[in-house]
Amino acid sequence: MDIKKLLFATQFEELWFDALQSLLDLRKASLNHVVFLNVIEREKVTMRRGAGYQKKEEIKLREKANIRFIDWAENLFEQGMEVGVYIVVGNLASQVISAAEKEAVDLIVIGRERKGKIERMLMGSDLTEIVHRTGKPVLVYKYAPETGGPLERPFERPMLSTDFSSASRRAVDYLMPLNDVVQHVDVIHVVSEKELAGTSAMAVQKTRKESRNKLDEMCDLLEAAGIEARSHVYIGETVEQIEKAARECGATMIITGTSGRGGLAERLLGSVPKELSEKSAFPTLFVPPENL
Amino acid sequence: MSKKVLVVDDDPDVRLFNTTVVEENGYTPLEAENGEEALKIIQDKKPDLVILDILMPKQSGIRLYRELKTNKALAGVKVVILSGIAKRTFLRSQKALTEFGDAEVPEPEVYLEKPVDSEELADVMRKVLA
Repeated sequence: MDIKKLLFATQFEELWFDALQSLLDLRKASLNHVVFLNVIEREKVTMRRGAGYQKKEEIKLREKANIRFIDWAENLFEQGMEVGVYIVVGNLASQVISAAEKEAVDLIVIGRERKGKIERMLMGSDLTEIVHRTGKPVLVYKYAPETGGPLERPFERPMLSTDFSSASRRAVDYLMPLNDVVQHVDVIHVVSEKELAGTSAMAVQKTRKESRNKLDEMCDLLEAAGIEARSHVYIGETVEQIEKAARECGATMIITGTSGRGGLAERLLGSVPKELSEKSAFPTLFVPPENL
Repeated sequence: MSKKVLVVDDDPDVRLFNTTVVEENGYTPLEAENGEEALKIIQDKKPDLVILDILMPKQSGIRLYRELKTNKALAGVKVVILSGIAKRTFLRSQKALTEFGDAEVPEPEVYLEKPVDSEELADVMRKVLA
């Protein structure tokens, strides 16, 4: 599973060219094509009483986006890369999905979710919709909280959080060809306190040992691909522990598999990916299961 | 039979403008909205001239230009670049690709930076197709 082509979807508010530049390390693997996407939200150009469709506003927004993309594209073209561009009016998630399909990209890069909590409850999250409908890995890029700038090499030292699902295994497959980019992977599993409630110290140790063995199998696969890997078991609330582990490991990114659960179930019950995308300070790569 | 001119641009307004200029000057316009579609039309209809944008979805004008200039069967097709991307970038990009091991390609017949007016475009077409 090589990353040859990525879709960089930006609204020019949450994601800039410096974020993309920090990902160009992937060229050492096989990245050679970047597709830019800007979605002009329909509300910005939609009909208003007495004014009709805001065609002039649409042209202005298109041209603003075009000027930025030309500048970014010139930089990439001069490095010998291939570049494409889409500037479209519509719904963010639908347009990202459509561009990802048309271009058959290997990775989608988006910024932090911009919808508010209530809007997400009512309409669902863009991230969830994109991950579930494209079946493509999605990187929610985040700038470093301390500096406000991009990380130098987000793929250098990722932390893979696994629940041993097929999506987690696919995440390992996704990392293996990146051995020129990824130096070290910490592979972690979080056991919830609920799973351990009422059990003896022996049973806790047994659970840890079982998890550790499964984690070590994943580490062996990564090491066979030339990537240093180390396993860790954490106990507690999943998202909180993942965040703690990422800090402890000095991770540059969190990687996690996503379940097939989406839409209403996720809106009502919540999910680890959704919470991570909203709360984590780290860039987070979501890998869906293969058969999604 | 009039000469065929293929207009390649992802912007429908630009395509409409360019094909109108092509038609008004007595040539037959063809159109494509990206490099991939353009290549199929070129192979199928063998236009005499391609007016080529650079920054487009699917396949950029940089890759299509390279394909046209390195494929012997298409070598006779003349190309005018019409793009918002600077000529300097185009040349540096081709140089970078050559350094990565691709074949060397000649400079385009004409390189126009957007926007151009209809007279300028018509003049260029007439000269290149003369």
